[in-house]
Amino acid sequence: MRRLLTSILLLCTLGAVAQQRTVSGTVRQKETGLPLAGATVKSSLQTIATDSLGRFQVLTKTGEHLQVTYVGMIPATAKVPATGTMAFVLTPSSTDLTQIVVTGYQSQRKADLTGAVSVVDVGELKKQAVANPIKALQGEVAGVFISSNGSPSAPATIRIRGIGTLNDNDPLFIIDGVPTKAGMHELNPNDIESMQVLKDASAASIYGSRAANGVIIITTKQGKAGRVQVSANAYTATQFYTTSPQMLNAGGYGQAYWQAAVNSGRDPNVNNIAYRFQWHADNSGKPMLDKILLPAYLDAAHTMHASNTDWFDAISKQGLIQAYDISISNGTEKGNYLFSAGYFDNQGVVKTTGFNRLSARMNASYKLIDGRLTIGENFTINRTREVIDPGVLNLALQALPIVPVHTVDGIGWGGPVGGMNDRQNPVRLLEDNKQNNYHYLRVFGNVYANLNIMKGLDLRTSVGLDYGNYVQSNFQKKYRSGYLVNDMNKLTMTYSNTSKITWSNTINYNRSFGAHLVNAVAGTEFYRQNDMSFYASRQNFAIQDPDYTYLDAGTGNKDNGGGAAANALMSYFGKLNYTYDNRYLASFTIRRDGSSRFGSNNRYGTFPAFSLGWRISQESFFRQLLNPSVISDLKLRFGWGKTGNQEINNVAAYSLYVTDYAGGNPLWGPTNGTAYDITGAHTGTLPSGYRITQRGNDNLQWEASTMSNYGIDFGLLNQRLTGSIEYYIKHTSDILVFPPYLAVLGEGGGQYVNGASMENKGWELTLSYHGKWRQLNFQMTGNISGYRNRITSLPASVVNNYGGNGLNDNILGRPINSFYGYVADGLFRTQKELDNSPAQQGKGLGRIRYKDLNGDGVIDNKDRTWIGSPHPDFIYGYNLTLQYKNIDLSLFLQGVHGTDIINQVKYNSDFWSVSETGSNKGSRLLNAWTPQNPNSTIPALTATDNNFESRFSTYYIEKGTYLKLRNVQIGYSLPASVLSRMKMQRLRVYIGGDNPLLLLKSKSFTGLDPESPGYGYPNPVVVTGGVNITL
Amino acid sequence: MKRIIALLLIALGIFSSCKRQLEVPPKGVLSPDQVANPENIDKFVIAAYSPLGNGDINVSFSLWQYGDVRSDDAYKGGRDEGDGQEFHFMETFYNMRPDFWPIDGLWYRIYVAVSRTNIALSYLNKIDEKAYPLKKARQGEVRFLRGYYYFLLKELYYRVPYIDETVPQDNYATISNTALSSDALWEKIAGDFQFAVDNLPVKQAEVGRPSQAAAYGFLAKTRLFQAYTQDDKYNVTGIDKGKMQAALDAADKALNSSFHLEQDFANNFLPGNFQNGPEAMFSIQFSHDDGTLYGRLNYGDALSVPQGLGCCDFHKPSQNFVNAFRTDNNGLPLLDNFNERNVDLANDNVDPRLDHTVAIPEHNWKYETKHVFKKSWSRNPGVYGYYASMKENVSPDCDCFVQTPPFFPNSKNKILLRYADVLLMKAEALIELGRQDEALPLINQVRTRAAQSTNLLNDANGSPQAKYNVGTYRPGVNITWTQDIARKALRFERRLELGQEAQRFFDLVRWGVAAEKLNAYFQVEKSRVPFLNNANFTKNKNEYLPIPQNQINFSRGVYQQNIGY
Repeated sequence: MRRLLTSILLLCTLGAVAQQRTVSGTVRQKETGLPLAGATVKSSLQTIATDSLGRFQVLTKTGEHLQVTYVGMIPATAKVPATGTMAFVLTPSSTDLTQIVVTGYQSQRKADLTGAVSVVDVGELKKQAVANPIKALQGEVAGVFISSNGSPSAPATIRIRGIGTLNDNDPLFIIDGVPTKAGMHELNPNDIESMQVLKDASAASIYGSRAANGVIIITTKQGKAGRVQVSANAYTATQFYTTSPQMLNAGGYGQAYWQAAVNSGRDPNVNNIAYRFQWHADNSGKPMLDKILLPAYLDAAHTMHASNTDWFDAISKQGLIQAYDISISNGTEKGNYLFSAGYFDNQGVVKTTGFNRLSARMNASYKLIDGRLTIGENFTINRTREVIDPGVLNLALQALPIVPVHTVDGIGWGGPVGGMNDRQNPVRLLEDNKQNNYHYLRVFGNVYANLNIMKGLDLRTSVGLDYGNYVQSNFQKKYRSGYLVNDMNKLTMTYSNTSKITWSNTINYNRSFGAHLVNAVAGTEFYRQNDMSFYASRQNFAIQDPDYTYLDAGTGNKDNGGGAAANALMSYFGKLNYTYDNRYLASFTIRRDGSSRFGSNNRYGTFPAFSLGWRISQESFFRQLLNPSVISDLKLRFGWGKTGNQEINNVAAYSLYVTDYAGGNPLWGPTNGTAYDITGAHTGTLPSGYRITQRGNDNLQWEASTMSNYGIDFGLLNQRLTGSIEYYIKHTSDILVFPPYLAVLGEGGGQYVNGASMENKGWELTLSYHGKWRQLNFQMTGNISGYRNRITSLPASVVNNYGGNGLNDNILGRPINSFYGYVADGLFRTQKELDNSPAQQGKGLGRIRYKDLNGDGVIDNKDRTWIGSPHPDFIYGYNLTLQYKNIDLSLFLQGVHGTDIINQVKYNSDFWSVSETGSNKGSRLLNAWTPQNPNSTIPALTATDNNFESRFSTYYIEKGTYLKLRNVQIGYSLPASVLSRMKMQRLRVYIGGDNPLLLLKSKSFTGLDPESPGYGYPNPVVVTGGVNITL
Repeated sequence: MKRIIALLLIALGIFSSCKRQLEVPPKGVLSPDQVANPENIDKFVIAAYSPLGNGDINVSFSLWQYGDVRSDDAYKGGRDEGDGQEFHFMETFYNMRPDFWPIDGLWYRIYVAVSRTNIALSYLNKIDEKAYPLKKARQGEVRFLRGYYYFLLKELYYRVPYIDETVPQDNYATISNTALSSDALWEKIAGDFQFAVDNLPVKQAEVGRPSQAAAYGFLAKTRLFQAYTQDDKYNVTGIDKGKMQAALDAADKALNSSFHLEQDFANNFLPGNFQNGPEAMFSIQFSHDDGTLYGRLNYGDALSVPQGLGCCDFHKPSQNFVNAFRTDNNGLPLLDNFNERNVDLANDNVDPRLDHTVAIPEHNWKYETKHVFKKSWSRNPGVYGYYASMKENVSPDCDCFVQTPPFFPNSKNKILLRYADVLLMKAEALIELGRQDEALPLINQVRTRAAQSTNLLNDANGSPQAKYNVGTYRPGVNITWTQDIARKALRFERRLELGQEAQRFFDLVRWGVAAEKLNAYFQVEKSRVPFLNNANFTKNKNEYLPIPQNQINFSRGVYQQNIGY
């Protein structure tokens, strides 16, 4: 088709003045700016390949179009200019059928895949200024749901194809063949060459016991044959907190306090929070507030001015992100290497919080014995450092605006006095916490040897290591903050290390015989993880300087503790892929895993899978029926497989006793201590006993998922429009549960059991279109996916433990984590409504009316029902990339539709007495119901929650639908002519931003960011500027 | 080349012998086989004691919220009604719901304690007495503890599932709270205390362990509660004379021991060497600087610290309670009309126990003239007034006062059974048996001691802080000592002597007068403190807490809710 068009165009334009000339130019890759060696350049007269520097010279006719193609890249065409040289920049294609995809212990052509495998556009991920590339994955891949917050280390929760279990739902990462479940924020995103998401069981089951939640395969960059390449990237970004809750100011708090008091028939001046009110009742008896009187000082010693503090303002700041990385690589026939170094620093929008990462990577391989033996390594060493938010976001909401940040001397801390709440000054917490960081050193990678025994037969052994070394210091300073006083400082140092060793040995066979293509792998894998931790603390340091506060410098009490854990996995696996004539595809997998975590009766599990594919488009009848320019590729796929989940406590199968001398922190609830001062000494070491922590279960076994996957891959218009449709049914059984239990069982009553089952049915659609209009190249990729979850069975003993009324109404048949509660039916607005309503203790005008669901005339806990589900109807993402000459622009939109969320903030913003009465409240309260404001939907203020409005009801549930512009970026690449003078291959500058716009949210949502309705670290707006350089 | 292949094949082969690699024993924990031996038995016994001190601000084994705040003795206190709001509703009996989390938390925590006693007993029962000569004595201690824990459950929740060490764990879920009648449950509790009586030594070398006398004391208490027969709507229908006699006998044995009244009432509530004194028959042993995070401190009473000394000013004596200490010219309480007006501390005679029990503005804090209790120490006097509960508190200068902001607990022992309590139990039994004349000297013994307890109550100038006047009942002189009057005097005496020690509400329910007394109290008290406006005690319901909703749900209907909820 395209050839036809080109020919027509050529015919039209050339006509009379067909003139031959030689044109030279370069071909580069867009993302990296690296030259592409071996790209095919085609004119009407000649087809040649580029040299190792991406250069070409080709004979053309003036005015004709040159076409450049390269495996894995979108082809480009350009008109031959009258003079000068040509520069092609190719964009990697995520849909190219010849693309090589790593699928676990082997790699395959994309065209040959039969499982549900998504290839991530890594370039897009890197556009966002986040520490964790996984956070940027949100909306990029159909069926992958990421939730996250704005914390500087960008922690992200990943759910592939919904929630599959009551346990750990995190996917498994395979980085250069080494499995890990640990944090991706510790690795440098710029080292990532490619990322694949294995979504269905037929693709993932080769990873057996840990694959039930899907697998993400990451391959890091390798040196490429050619000359020495140096590439460097830098960006800096500034970020803002734009979604802080709207809180009452000092006057507003007084007004709300007064209103709550008069509504409850109390004297508002009976308070011990420094407010005095002048008020009267007007002729109709309506209470009128005339004036709020505040003292000059809150305390008798006159150290604290009565203030008007905006605590969210006080804890937040403009944040700064900086990132730099450089990589050097080279490759020859004898081997290749890549060295990279990176630095990332994020000073968050909450004061004193921050994260930084220093990383280095060395990937190298050497070919020996005529290239038959390859020995190589991929290693990275990273140091991360973080100061975490000590929990100030909820405190900033609770702190009273009348309390100043500092005392009058500007040094001491403001704090509660008299009858105010006993919450800490959040600014003090941040300031006193700034030295309390952790350092984490992580070494990750593998060494391997690959021996090519004969053509197509390879033996490979690889030893992977994931080693983490964690040191945290926590110094609790002395302070005086209102009546909250601490006279004893204390240092706690915590150390832990984790080592995970993976030794895998595989034999690979890869041959074609005529139309038959066989690709097989068999192997074994051994995994062992050892964790160890301890802490030590000391009280009483004379000086609070961070250079002084080490354990030896303290003079007070010492304390310490520690523990260890270990687990092991032993696996045997095999996989066979078979392709006939590019038309018929089949794949079979089997893996047998043994885990130390399971009861001696059920230690091993077997995980089989198969998948089949049919490329109809390769059939001759299809070719005859349809022109490839209409339907260029069409593949039907079916896969079935079984995967496992073993992510439970290492010692879940055992009955265990522990000595628990102190039993926990008594400030956080009753302790489980086993010590007791039986001699009445009142001090010194106490005799201590044992307590049981859990009941054992020798029959504990794998949690297993089976998934059937139906897929269609298609390419239309000569692969200009490509896409895939997936439908899956995933059934998880024997889910490991640690159910809540009857109190009479005591503290050791818990027991892990296999028992629950659930089902996810889902669909995914991905579409990608690339095209060109004049000099404008554009590419659009969109994806949309959804699933329905339901719990299909639960052991009778725990069926009531996930919501329901405890008798006949339970979660069976409903989505996991469904909400159970009352239905709020607006407010009582007239006496008549009140009189005609069912009995409801505490009801009154302006109070929430609840529905009498069982119709017995009484509102009680039998009137609860299922009132929401936290699962979205669908999620979607849309990526648009435009390239015009040297300018590129990209937009990335991401959305979630139809999820029910619990708006935690509403407990504070809509009620006086549902949560802490002594805490500040949202400014919405000023619009609460009063007889004079009868249309308000916010209940009247009261001093106590007599109507039990803290009951979980639909009042707190809102729609979490949103559509966000996640990222926008505009870049400019210097033209080749300028670059060559500067001895550079590429220089691109760009500006952009993350989360600049919330395009859509549900009308019912009363907060500011539906993505984080609770008190999480806010998602900031980020403005980024950066540069990419290649030498 | 061949060598490399060989190596790789060996590597592959190694795994066939790798099965033992999957035997990864747990680290830092112990299996049942490792712990069940004579060397470890004592540790299980210790672990059964430790829950006594494992409470926190909301799950307090001192039961101040349940015994005092729910009675006419105390207000909840704190910042305002919304601070610990569930307890506000418990105080006013308004909006009482089975899903209150503190009710579930307390239930769970007491059953944790019960389960520790059952685990200890299951190992103790199996062990050979020759290998472990202390077997009987330790069984006695653990059954004493189990009796105590079930006593708490019984007085709070009425009927509870009774599980002892003979029940296999798999059967726990089948045992209903209504499997045993209320009386049968008392029998079980009495059975544990009886076993303790039969096996505990007269004197324990280690003061934390209960003596035989302490077991007699709790046996007396159990029998006393049991003797007031209740119908299934909690109406007291009469007195079981046999049980009353049993209470009397046990109390006699408890009193006939080395324990006796302290010389000064104050000594019971002072830290340091005063702890484990002659009157403290059984106490929770708290400790500080003991290697735990902050010390094993009395977090259960930590909220009682006035705001002027820390936080959070809960557990505030009611005006009604303070008025009860007014005495007439004979030093006798005004049994019927004490609450007609508020006590005038400048002019009225008062029982000196007031200044031991209640912190009063401008009076000494914990007997120290350098720490005068100020009005400003109260957190929200407009709501909860200016009094504070003092027995559980200590001087801010005590090394037992530990600052762990926002809470300020102390390591002073908590007396769970006081000799004076047993004296009054004996008197109560005698009166109910119609032997009120024999009860008279017991009540007077308590009053005489009260009269002697003024040495620490002088102000900085050495003068008494109030007009202390407490006298004994002298039939024919200042009182006519009939059974009715004796009963009234006894009940009043318990209030004065044991005030703010979390006894009052349970006493009122035992006597069958909770609804009558509390509704009368609300009627007057709400004019003093408006937060009681909605307060109303529902008879045949509020005598007991509801069974926690969670437990009913988890039991899948095996548990039955208490009536009225």
